[in-house]
Amino acid sequence: MNPSLPAASPAELLARPGVLAVVRPRPDAVAEPFVVLLDDGRAIGLNGHVDLGTGIRTSLTQIVAEELDLALSSVSMVLGDTLWAPDQGYTTASETIQVTAIPLRRAAAQARGWLVGKAASLLGVSAEELEVLDGTISPRTGDGGSCTYAELIAGETIVLDLDDSFPLKDPAAYSIVGKSTRRVDIPGKVTGQWTFVHDVRLDGMLHGRVIRPPYGGRDSGAFIGRSLLRVDESSIAHMPDVKLVVIHDFVGVVAAREEDAEAAARALSVVWADFTPLPDLASPVEAVRANPSTPRILKDTGGVDEALASAAFRRSHTYVWPWHMHGSIGPCCSVAAFDAAGSLTVWSGTQTQHMLRNDLAILLDVAPDNIEIVRLETAGSYGRSGMDDVGADAALLARAVGAPVRVQLSRDQEHAWEPKGAAQLMDVDGGIDADGNLVAYDFATRYPSNMAPMLALLLTRKVDPVAGSGPIGDRNAEPPYDYENMRVVCHDQAPVVRAAFLRGVSAMPNAFAHESFIDEMAEAAGVDPVEYRARNISDPRARDLIRQTAERAGWVPKIAPGKEMIAPDVARGRGFAYSTYLHGPFPGKAAAAAAWVVDVEVNKTSGEVAVTKVVVAQDSGMVINPAGVRHQIEGNVFQSVSRVLMEQVAFNEVAVTSRDWSTYPILKFPEAPVVEAHLVPRPNDPPLGAGESASVPSAAAIVNAVYDATGVRFRELPLTPERVRTGLLEQNGSAPPFARKMKAGAPWLAAAGGLIAAAFTMLSPIKPAIAPIAFEGAGVFTSETIERGRLVAAAGNCVGCHTDGASAPNAGGHALRTPFGNVYSTNITPDVETGIGAWSYPAFERAMRQGISRDGRHLYPAFPYTAFARMTDGDLQALYAYLMSQPAVKSKVPETRLAFPMNVRPLMAGWNAMFHKAEVFTPDPARSERWNRGAYLVEGAGHCAACHSPRNALGAEATGARHLTGGIVDGWDAPALGAYSPSPIPWTEEAYYQYLRTGASAQHGATAGPMLAVVDELSALPDGDIRAMAHYLASRSPSGLSEAATTRRADALTMLGRAQLVPIDNVGARIFDGACAVCHANDNLDMFGGQVSLPLSSTVHSERPDNLIRTILNGVHDPAKGTRGAMPSFARQFSDEQLAELVTFVRKTQAAGKPAWRDVPGAIRRIRTERPR
Amino acid sequence: MTPRTGPLRLTVNGATHQLAVCSGALLLHVLRNDLQLNGPKYGCGLAQCGACTVLIDGKTARSCILPVGGLEGCEIVTLEGLGTLEQPHPVQAAFIAESATQCGYCVNGIILAATALLRRIPDPSDNDIRQALKYNLCRCGSHNEVLIAIRAAARAMTSHMPVVE
Ligand code: FES
Ligand code: FES
Repeated sequence: MNPSLPAASPAELLARPGVLAVVRPRPDAVAEPFVVLLDDGRAIGLNGHVDLGTGIRTSLTQIVAEELDLALSSVSMVLGDTLWAPDQGYTTASETIQVTAIPLRRAAAQARGWLVGKAASLLGVSAEELEVLDGTISPRTGDGGSCTYAELIAGETIVLDLDDSFPLKDPAAYSIVGKSTRRVDIPGKVTGQWTFVHDVRLDGMLHGRVIRPPYGGRDSGAFIGRSLLRVDESSIAHMPDVKLVVIHDFVGVVAAREEDAEAAARALSVVWADFTPLPDLASPVEAVRANPSTPRILKDTGGVDEALASAAFRRSHTYVWPWHMHGSIGPCCSVAAFDAAGSLTVWSGTQTQHMLRNDLAILLDVAPDNIEIVRLETAGSYGRSGMDDVGADAALLARAVGAPVRVQLSRDQEHAWEPKGAAQLMDVDGGIDADGNLVAYDFATRYPSNMAPMLALLLTRKVDPVAGSGPIGDRNAEPPYDYENMRVVCHDQAPVVRAAFLRGVSAMPNAFAHESFIDEMAEAAGVDPVEYRARNISDPRARDLIRQTAERAGWVPKIAPGKEMIAPDVARGRGFAYSTYLHGPFPGKAAAAAAWVVDVEVNKTSGEVAVTKVVVAQDSGMVINPAGVRHQIEGNVFQSVSRVLMEQVAFNEVAVTSRDWSTYPILKFPEAPVVEAHLVPRPNDPPLGAGESASVPSAAAIVNAVYDATGVRFRELPLTPERVRTGLLEQNGSAPPFARKMKAGAPWLAAAGGLIAAAFTMLSPIKPAIAPIAFEGAGVFTSETIERGRLVAAAGNCVGCHTDGASAPNAGGHALRTPFGNVYSTNITPDVETGIGAWSYPAFERAMRQGISRDGRHLYPAFPYTAFARMTDGDLQALYAYLMSQPAVKSKVPETRLAFPMNVRPLMAGWNAMFHKAEVFTPDPARSERWNRGAYLVEGAGHCAACHSPRNALGAEATGARHLTGGIVDGWDAPALGAYSPSPIPWTEEAYYQYLRTGASAQHGATAGPMLAVVDELSALPDGDIRAMAHYLASRSPSGLSEAATTRRADALTMLGRAQLVPIDNVGARIFDGACAVCHANDNLDMFGGQVSLPLSSTVHSERPDNLIRTILNGVHDPAKGTRGAMPSFARQFSDEQLAELVTFVRKTQAAGKPAWRDVPGAIRRIRTERPR
Repeated sequence: MTPRTGPLRLTVNGATHQLAVCSGALLLHVLRNDLQLNGPKYGCGLAQCGACTVLIDGKTARSCILPVGGLEGCEIVTLEGLGTLEQPHPVQAAFIAESATQCGYCVNGIILAATALLRRIPDPSDNDIRQALKYNLCRCGSHNEVLIAIRAAARAMTSHMPVVE
């Protein structure tokens, strides 16, 4: 949607006929155009600041159209491209309208003036007599000729140097500026026609992914760029088209298809060194206070110490601000391409284009002039995010592979590595005299700075990872109130973790302290807090804003907290705060001023705080686009409410552990407060930046409201339920209950040594080999036989165990985990050397019925010949025919090496004597044909018991009453079928049928783990067979409940489980809400594919947490046909601690009546550290 | 398990495409890369944010986690298929009239979720709308204007009147 400029470069444009440009001349370089008019009637404005998703593009368009007297639709903007747009520095601090729009406006006015002058001489009238309507110039009287801008420009090349003295239009005559205007970008954005940086597609473009080091979110320390030990290329050897790029700690992969790049990034095995542990950042207080700093005295008037000593009422507090994320909804993305001459173009969403260009020049040893940054819009970033980082990633990969590369960061990379909004500590010591006058204020603020060098420069060791310190913590450091004696000190310090500018940088925290403290002083003085502020502020415009806001909100004066209870647990309160956002170096330039009246409700039992309504008034001077400013205010309100109530970046001793939206939750639609935004009309004052001002009073307004509701002042954020509960308990004098320590659980599997000893006292003769055959080829079998064999193979899911990962079907090598070690499945393709190509049918049959390989060796009962022995000759012959007619695959599988006694293969003869009856299935004449068919499939080819029956210490399936009462396969629980099923709802015939047919049953959830493959294979079987299996399984434990009654019970359980999901007052509940609820809370009514109800799922009712943990870590990526659902893996999102909280929460809330699982952390550690097979 | 490969038939915005993609490929990648559609966006890949939303058989689906393999025979609609610049769907028209997004990255999911909601409840309450958008994240804070736009769209659709300019 960028306007197409009719030239390849500014130099070309400024030499072309049919153009009028107002430019800023530059010594030794091409002049920078600000406004360009073309002979087709279009006007183009160019601005060095970019649109960060706030609608600045529209406001700038309005300004240009206004000064030129053009229709909005004739004007478009080019923002931020290094080639085209003037260099006006970084887009920060809402300066665009206040600063960079000024030359734009002048240039537009100058262009109009020049054109009107030209028209005057052409039409023979004075310029004063002319008016302009949408680019047509004519005498005001209506008489005489007229001409258009386009006509005047046609054939001419007019380049005017920007003249600052040119008169501007009188604001009283504005018809576009100051009127609410629809955003120019939104039609494209809501129809999918807009090009974000994520949407750049170039010919021959490849897809890149980066693999970041484990120290996510840190950028200083000797280990940075020096932690990579090795990259195991063989881990992606099966993806031959993927290219690997490694430069010190920078690791990336490139592939033609995006999913391949993602798969390679997941599969690549990278070994990193250990790293320096971080300080404990659970609370920023110690880390920030301990961080070396340099005091900078910003203000010291009067005698603060003496005034404090003699204050009638004195308070000293520390206010604590946590690390926050920008939390852009679109993780950073960039495209880079080199041309044949070595010039680089980077398509980027950066807001610091020139810094990006210079950093790329250092990174790549390319002259800055050979780098062009094309700036495209991206998801909102609210300050500097990781856009420059990803631009560098793309450039490094593009250079390495010699093709254009697009790099998309993943959500966990974005969360971990985006430079954070810094934590901050504010110490206040202040007081009033006996008359309530503000006599002393001693303020110290500590801000770990935020210079975040481009990541690739650090990872590739192009720059040293030395933490520098910058003077950023001083915004709004001086309180707006007239304290007689005042000292303000900013302790500048280097970063603790990677940080950059985030909306309201350092001003929000500083204002949080000032505006909380003034409330406390007001109460001590016995004065209403609004009145007290107005009395103690000398700026009349600010006083006006404070009074207007209170009036708009219907503020009722108060001198003590109201503590109004609106329900047995719920208190309501109202708070006020005001700030004028000051940006730039101290004392700073004033942007818009804002004041808040906020209503909250506090649940005193759960600790939850809800912001229900915010009335905010803002003084932005002249407003270009009132609707735009109102939306901007609302945006600031929602975002800052979110930051204050719920946001805090979590760390462990290594890195950031907030790696998705569940571990860093943000405000959602149901919690969004009602917002009333008011603009103070000031059409004759200069416009003030409105981009972030409304955020600044948020925190204090909210804590002041919570104080009004509860009588407790909170000075550390965020206001999580835990913090609020603790605060309320402390006030009541009782300590919070101790967290109960969980006892480590006993190992669930006990050895049965005695049984082993008994079994192996018997020795049996070694079996003879059966002579190899020269197989004649599949032509000997009829196609009917082969087809029947295919179904038998499907019923038995041969391919499930006999295939390893992505290798050829049935070629073996899949490791089956047993208590004795891994058993590797054999190659059952007809390859003579490595498979069963030399097996005669008798050899095959002996293996299937007796567990003896062709060469006479005993097979392990991990191969369920105990079940296969029940199969009919006809089925076995058909299966043989089918397998022998498949393609032969030469593939030698790893040798199975088990622990004693299983490593002595002949001992298996003794095992067989004890545990194996090689008998063909005999139908029960008393039962129906369907029942018998089902029993045959379940107990024979289907070998359900191999997984679903417990095994004794020797690995033999339990029989009798314990048949099908649950087993373990590959570390997954195979739940009991029938009466012992952990499921809270009895399995009906219909449920079994649905589950086996589709992989999911509404009453029991969906398959995961090894069962996925079983259902997938069963899809080959006719419906009658599946129904027969369901019939047989259901007959083993009739529930006595009708289908309708079962459904009712299931619905009731689902509702019960849903009710347990609130309150969201602990880590586990928050993770569930952010990560799981979308599919598992049963309240997403419009969702395709339906929800999986956890209260009905065997996984959460199981005796062990293993299936749940595995499902969360692995996800369900290749769901069986028909479920049409999938679940992502959360292995990279959750730390062990977070996962334990989630698993514990799920068990507690979704498995009604079941006891808590024992040693969840132990199970998580065990499963996480399992060796990959 | 063996990956199924071979041409896959996918019906998107009314047209059926034969695609040489792996059945395990994610719908989001196929829509964006093979069909060059910009509507669905990558936001998290975890079904958490809704940026990648598409409609499948009229219901909302998160294309970032769905393998294309299971979707043959389904009707998939993206933001592009809902309406055009010239003829926007009433929900799109309401979002244009109310300037109801900020950066616009989340708006794809929000519009499609709203469309599915209005199909289920033509005249939703404020609470219905909030609940229907519970799993769509917006970081810019466009919530207020989004709620206004959806109410306007509902009014326009139930009265069969165009969204008021
Ligand atoms: S990208 Fe699919 S839900 Fe976030
Ligand atoms: S408008 Fe930017 S994330 Fe919603």
